[in-house]
Amino acid sequence: MQRYIFRRLLQMIPIALGISVLMFALLTLAPGDPVDLLISSDPRVKPEDVVRLKHLYGLDQPIHIRYLKWLGRTVQGDLGFSRTYKEPVTELMRDRIGNSLWLTVTAFVLAVGVAVPVGIYSALHQYSFLDYAATTFTFFGVSIPVFWFGIMAIYLFAVWHPWTQIPGLAWVLLPPGGISTPGVGEGLPFLLDRLRYMILPSIVLALLSMASYTRYTRSSMLEVVRQDYVRTARAKGLAEGVVINKHALRNALIPLITIMALSISGLFAGAPITETVFAWPGVGRLLVDSVIGGDYVAAQAVLMFLAVLVLIFNLMADIGYAFLDPRIRYD
Amino acid sequence: MVRNAVTVPALTVAAPVTQAGEGYWQIAWRRLRRHRLAMGGLLIIALLVATAVFAPWIAPYKFEQIDLLNRFGKPLAPRHLLGTDDLGHDVLTRLLFAGRVSLLVGFAAALSAIALGTLVGVVAGFYTGLVDNALMRLTDIILTLPIFGVLLLLGRYFGGGIAPIVAIIGLFGWTTAARLVRGEILRLRTQDFADAARALGASQSRIIFRHLLPNALAPIIVAATLDVGGAILIEAALSYFGVGIQPPTPSWGNMLQNAQSYMWTSPWLAFWPGAMIFLTVLCFNFFGDGLRDALDPRLRL
Repeated sequence: MQRYIFRRLLQMIPIALGISVLMFALLTLAPGDPVDLLISSDPRVKPEDVVRLKHLYGLDQPIHIRYLKWLGRTVQGDLGFSRTYKEPVTELMRDRIGNSLWLTVTAFVLAVGVAVPVGIYSALHQYSFLDYAATTFTFFGVSIPVFWFGIMAIYLFAVWHPWTQIPGLAWVLLPPGGISTPGVGEGLPFLLDRLRYMILPSIVLALLSMASYTRYTRSSMLEVVRQDYVRTARAKGLAEGVVINKHALRNALIPLITIMALSISGLFAGAPITETVFAWPGVGRLLVDSVIGGDYVAAQAVLMFLAVLVLIFNLMADIGYAFLDPRIRYD
Repeated sequence: MVRNAVTVPALTVAAPVTQAGEGYWQIAWRRLRRHRLAMGGLLIIALLVATAVFAPWIAPYKFEQIDLLNRFGKPLAPRHLLGTDDLGHDVLTRLLFAGRVSLLVGFAAALSAIALGTLVGVVAGFYTGLVDNALMRLTDIILTLPIFGVLLLLGRYFGGGIAPIVAIIGLFGWTTAARLVRGEILRLRTQDFADAARALGASQSRIIFRHLLPNALAPIIVAATLDVGGAILIEAALSYFGVGIQPPTPSWGNMLQNAQSYMWTSPWLAFWPGAMIFLTVLCFNFFGDGLRDALDPRLRL
């Protein structure tokens, strides 16, 4: 097992390096380096200043030297300085990672909490009305454009008037965006306030994962209940609940856990759209803002962060799978 | 249709004993016709394609025509059935023309992603060894990228027109197809009919194009169908963020770009374009799902 983990770690290195090369190339070969952008925004910059600045920032060096220097700094945790935010990118990301975690974790819990029971029910009552309803729902979930779903949710629950016209129901109106009411205090009021702000974005963010988890749970469960050992368990005269919970479910969950581990990073990376629509100050929104605003130092850092996250979760999924399923060979 | 070009009679015994003379594609079509959601999806897709193709004749106005005296017109008005937007464009006209762009991007991007993926998959699966290893590591790397951020970035550099958006989506969308095709080719290349073709002295390209690829066609077609919906979603998201198709060319995504800021006053502006994307992608997913059931040989009996 240890050898397997070690080997997977070793395999990660070339992929991580490949990603870093690709990322660096994408952002460095982009038209316009930081100094060019500075000149275009300030006509007073003289040609000798340009040469001096390019030398100062090391932009006059060959590309492979710049890559190695950038890699060296990044590995040591220095992600550079953001021009637009006038802050080191590490500082910039610290709060935002926390904010994104609030949303991602809530969405994940929501998705799993709905998808697993619904998927199991669907599989055990195949072709029932609720099975059809759930299957249709999964199609809706994977087909709906996230930003449109977000906008519609804001309209229905944060803008639309009839809700508030009913006396005593004004509080039903949810905030259309943002993360908390200024000056709400600490402790319980803070938490309740935060929850109100999280309702819409976490549902919107969760929908896609909810749909795909439901589909996977259903098909995984369907496959398992057809197995011989489930029939054997029934033939032994075990109670149906024991058959389902102890024999079927535990085996059906193994592939599911892998898929979930793989998709947590996807949930994190999928947040840019939701965070932008709901003005949630997280990593995803930072990515969108920095890319659109041309702050490539910040964009590069966020992209690299997300890629490393995917790598880590992929590794965890593989290791988790090997732990959970004794049939997996480690070699 | 004879799927394996090897004309040894014994090999055709494996064909399903359904109706005499009925080939694989006829069986698939018969199965597909019974799939109500898939047929419904196909019908709506056909309708959407028709309205897109004939948009210049159906649309009541020109798509760039603005009516500054009649901005934010409410729906169901006599002259503008779905109202007008912030510049006074007729929303119905914009929707019809946007459908052209969104569908074109969807089909073209899916096609290029599938073509590229098939190429990579065939090369990796057929030649195996070092080539396979290198190509699959490349696939791993692309799958690890935070793809939405990368697309956003490339959209900002090169976006604006239809061709660059298609290229960007295709360039990063081929990985699923590549893995799929590679798996199929790896499985098929060791089967008896491939050995037989090799023994008969068939060239590599003949083995690949006449014997292996036709047998891998079913999953490729399904993936292509589902990819169209995916590509439409990506284009819409990029355009929503302003790095996809640029106005005045309308796309369902860029019609939503400003809609959020007018939500308090003109909510219908945000409704229609998103509803069209939703409907289109839903239909492609229904159709793709039905197609999978219809083409999957394991379910044939």
